Amino acid sequence: MRPRRSWTYLTLITALALVIAACGGDEGGGTTTLGTGTTVASSTTQGGTETTAATETTAASGEPIRVGSTLALTGFLAATAAIHKVTGEVFVDRINAAGGLLGRPVEWVLLDDESTPDLAAAAYERLITEDEVDLILGPYGTGNITAAMAVAQRYGYAFPHHTASLTYAYTYECQFSSWSTGLHPNITNPNLLYDALESTGTPPETIGFVVNEFPGTMFISYGQPDTDEGGAVAEAEKRGWEVVLDVTFPTATSDWGPLAAQVRDADPDFLYIAGLGVDAPNLVTAMQAIDYSPDGMFVQWPAPGPVLATEGADGMMSVTIFEEHPPFTDDPEAVEVAGMIDAALTEAGVPYAKVETQAAASWTAWEYLQQAAEGAGSLDQQAMCDWLVENGAQTLFHGDIEFFPEEQNYFEDLSKIKQVQDGEWYTVYPEEFAAPDRSVEFSPGG
Amino acid sequence: MSARVRALVGFAAVALILGFAPNMQESLEFPRFYLIFLFTMFFWIAQASSWNILTGYSGYFSFGQGAFYGVGVYTVGVLVVKQGWSFMTALPVAGLLAGLTGLFLGLVVFRVRRLTGEIFALTTLAIAFVLASVARLSPSIDGGTGIFMTGTPLPGFLGEFTTAAYRLTLAITLITVVVAYLIHDSRLGWGLFAIRDDEPVAEGLGVPTFRYKMVALGANALLAGLMGGVWALQLGFVTVDDVFNIRVPLFVILMSVLGGMQHWMGPVIGAVIITTLTDRLNSAGLTDVNQIIIGGMLVVLALAVREGVYVRMRRRWVTTAVSFFGVLGLARLLDLNDSLISDFAYAMVATVVMMLVPDRVWARFGELFGRSHPAEEPIGAEDLTRTGP
Amino acid sequence: MELLAQGIVSGILVGGLYALMSIGISLSWGALKIINLAHFSFILLSAYIVYQLTVSFEVDPLLMVLVVAPLFFMLGVLVQMFFHLAKVDEFKSLIVTFGLFIIFQSVMQTIWSADFRRIGPVLNPYETQSFFVAGIAFQLPQLVAFVVALLIAGGMWLTFTRTYFGKAVRAVAQDPEMARAFGIDSRRVAVILSGLSTAFSALAGVFIAIGQTMFPQLAVAWFGIVFPIVILGGLGNSLGTLTAGVIIGVAAGVSSVLWGPLSAPLVTFTILIVALLFRPEGLITKRSIA
Repeated sequence: MRPRRSWTYLTLITALALVIAACGGDEGGGTTTLGTGTTVASSTTQGGTETTAATETTAASGEPIRVGSTLALTGFLAATAAIHKVTGEVFVDRINAAGGLLGRPVEWVLLDDESTPDLAAAAYERLITEDEVDLILGPYGTGNITAAMAVAQRYGYAFPHHTASLTYAYTYECQFSSWSTGLHPNITNPNLLYDALESTGTPPETIGFVVNEFPGTMFISYGQPDTDEGGAVAEAEKRGWEVVLDVTFPTATSDWGPLAAQVRDADPDFLYIAGLGVDAPNLVTAMQAIDYSPDGMFVQWPAPGPVLATEGADGMMSVTIFEEHPPFTDDPEAVEVAGMIDAALTEAGVPYAKVETQAAASWTAWEYLQQAAEGAGSLDQQAMCDWLVENGAQTLFHGDIEFFPEEQNYFEDLSKIKQVQDGEWYTVYPEEFAAPDRSVEFSPGG
Repeated sequence: MSARVRALVGFAAVALILGFAPNMQESLEFPRFYLIFLFTMFFWIAQASSWNILTGYSGYFSFGQGAFYGVGVYTVGVLVVKQGWSFMTALPVAGLLAGLTGLFLGLVVFRVRRLTGEIFALTTLAIAFVLASVARLSPSIDGGTGIFMTGTPLPGFLGEFTTAAYRLTLAITLITVVVAYLIHDSRLGWGLFAIRDDEPVAEGLGVPTFRYKMVALGANALLAGLMGGVWALQLGFVTVDDVFNIRVPLFVILMSVLGGMQHWMGPVIGAVIITTLTDRLNSAGLTDVNQIIIGGMLVVLALAVREGVYVRMRRRWVTTAVSFFGVLGLARLLDLNDSLISDFAYAMVATVVMMLVPDRVWARFGELFGRSHPAEEPIGAEDLTRTGP
Repeated sequence: MELLAQGIVSGILVGGLYALMSIGISLSWGALKIINLAHFSFILLSAYIVYQLTVSFEVDPLLMVLVVAPLFFMLGVLVQMFFHLAKVDEFKSLIVTFGLFIIFQSVMQTIWSADFRRIGPVLNPYETQSFFVAGIAFQLPQLVAFVVALLIAGGMWLTFTRTYFGKAVRAVAQDPEMARAFGIDSRRVAVILSGLSTAFSALAGVFIAIGQTMFPQLAVAWFGIVFPIVILGGLGNSLGTLTAGVIIGVAAGVSSVLWGPLSAPLVTFTILIVALLFRPEGLITKRSIA
């Protein structure tokens, strides 16, 4: 028995050595070694050559400008972070194909924060002080963004970021959120929905709330902690709608049966699911199983793909910034970029390969960074920050953005309401953004 | 006795050097990230070492580390942010509350007769879930909205924020390691080892098992809570899901078992290995394979070095020193890359690989070089307690 | 009242699924002395395979039982042979299998991406089907999972009490050396048992694929459900595991109906702690196989 045991170990050791060697080999004989981050974007030419050939491009040259960021490439946030990775790669390829930033090529140093805030904070310290990147961009996920923002603030870096939900807490004067929800989404988001419902002429008389106990959804539903101002529940009551159900559920819910039974018991005209990810598909499935479907439903921040693959989710509403249909696609450049991102998402194996809120916010954050550097004409962080505050940004998916310093650099709430109709998401409200021949569908009791 | 004095002098020297490292940052021109890296490493050393005081010494397998750490984080969060306390007054309270949680748990659990290892393990795991639920349900603790810790003022004499957090972490880590060291070589330590080997026999020999177990659990909880209190600063935004998850309890187990649970140095070595490797692999941009490498490493190390890496390092101390400093020096000399941490990682990997060679093969090598080398030395308490660091 | 009844029924049924997820781990721990964290990956891997086959070949997902059960039986055999060769003991098994767990997680994320996967309603008619008895819904996938768990638990109980193989397993679990002395091929017994327990986990994966949205991190969320059930039920005790699953399921269902879903973990874990303190040997019998 003993000799065999030694052999087992030796085999395992050899295997491990081979793996390590192989990984060393991957990085090639260049300057990048075990210590430094690897460039993510490099080889893709498909998008660049096809699409930007028309513009007169002078090749980027000189030392690359290094942009540092982390994303939750593994862990609980990985599903959505994958979209941000792909979008960033497309952006970097495209800007490099078009002559780079300030005439220099852009290199993205991307680290994995494993969906953990303390790792994100350490990684940003590392990017800034060890890797000495020129620019930084926010990670994905509220907790991680908050942790990274503290680091950015300590070193005075301009900090564009996407999809951080607790707007009230971000007081750093060089933070720029590319998720245009305004400073008070806890007031504006629910009211947009309620306006949409009232636009049908038959608003609900009763409304029910199921709220994921996640800081962002708690904020939207119950308002800012300590001030309790706004919140979807209070705003509904203001309109004289009767709140017949108000339940909070833990983020890691695995059995949706009891919650579904509670909704059926309360039987609201309209169900507001303040949930994210796959909360809505899980709850709707559980409600279907007990033969119940509410007349209308809204979900705050869903993963768009799984909702479409859910029986009984037709008519589900949500908020969005951008959808791939007119009038958003009236701008040919938006169509072109969206097409590139779609292709890259498909290639990366993401099942729902379409640009919507996440990819749009991601792209916009990169645009902030690019325009700040170009506007300031340098990579000086304070100059970039000042320039953005002064001039705002012209964005592809959000239009022209201003940063109001008195509103913590937030702009207006640019959210729209979208709805699942005939198995697809369509923007339905406000009317000027609605897809052709689409409007809000809701009739209680119908 | 002189061994102990020497060890304590050693600890003091380490404390001085590391404590003043931030002051030398300017003149030595090393990146500030090195401090953050050490800061992270200290956190894990303290967590693993405190866990080992109970589990490594007494053999009671605890999943409670997450609960004690969580109590520490939340105590600081609530007291500083919601009650307006200063950080330095909140921190001791965090340790105290965590310690009391541990003692309460012990009071309930250790009173149960016929307590098996699994039951103890599960009860400690369940405590973390219960505490998480309490934090979720109670708006005065969290209530689902999270606590923002960013911008917490720290006392000025410790330096600016990062430096101050680094020094606090260093201090708590040193206290933890020294406590682990002192217990290891004391009556209490021997009593705990006796409990680990055979509790009824230990009791028969007059070891006050209940009291000893309570002390070990209390120390574990208190130190874990203190460290958690400081870590709240690094989290920035404290949420139930980020604090009460399985990461802390799982990683302290992995680190301690890797390094070796019999000796106070084991968890330290284990924490150093795992934090260095995860840091370098994570940032090497190999996101697809780095988890696979870490997983494979755990499998290989657990199988090949049963008694823990530290015991082998002790036994093969010449090889350890030569391979570590040799590779480190070589990497520096050749200027392989500009990061000292990467060089350190190379040296460490080389050393660990040397430790992987099975004892039998090792003995043959020894014979080749004309040295007689005992294949498997018995690991007794005496052998391990002979010298300091 | 109907609400409460529905909470109890959902709890019982979902308890069956929980038990199905736990039986493999319980058997492995109780009889083989291997705390096999890789089982969590086996469940999810099986679910992903069912998803992939169903979507690619447009077949009935329940039929996939016929594919994954033998497949994972083989995997279990291989894993046990590796454990045997490497002489993994109870303590090291935690680390070794956690390493395997990380590797499996990473591989699954590479293959199926970190994004959410779901068998659509067209290919998966079971997800929302139910029977109604007096207005109380019995969800079909959960009901089937419960029946399967019941069959396995009953089958294992009969096997352990009535057959030669069962006696051999018990002998090996108690003292492998002694069992060998009595002519029991303990290695073969262990390999078969590992195959069985892995196949049971794969069955749980089938119901995950039918009833839930999958993503790689889902497996991590199961730790807090499965471990309490395994220990409460008594290590290696399949019937005990089923009972424990039902108790946990009902406690969670009733408390979330009465006091909201947030209270469910508080109630279940408090029950657990109290139960452990009064019956530290596990719920049903003295620990180990029965």
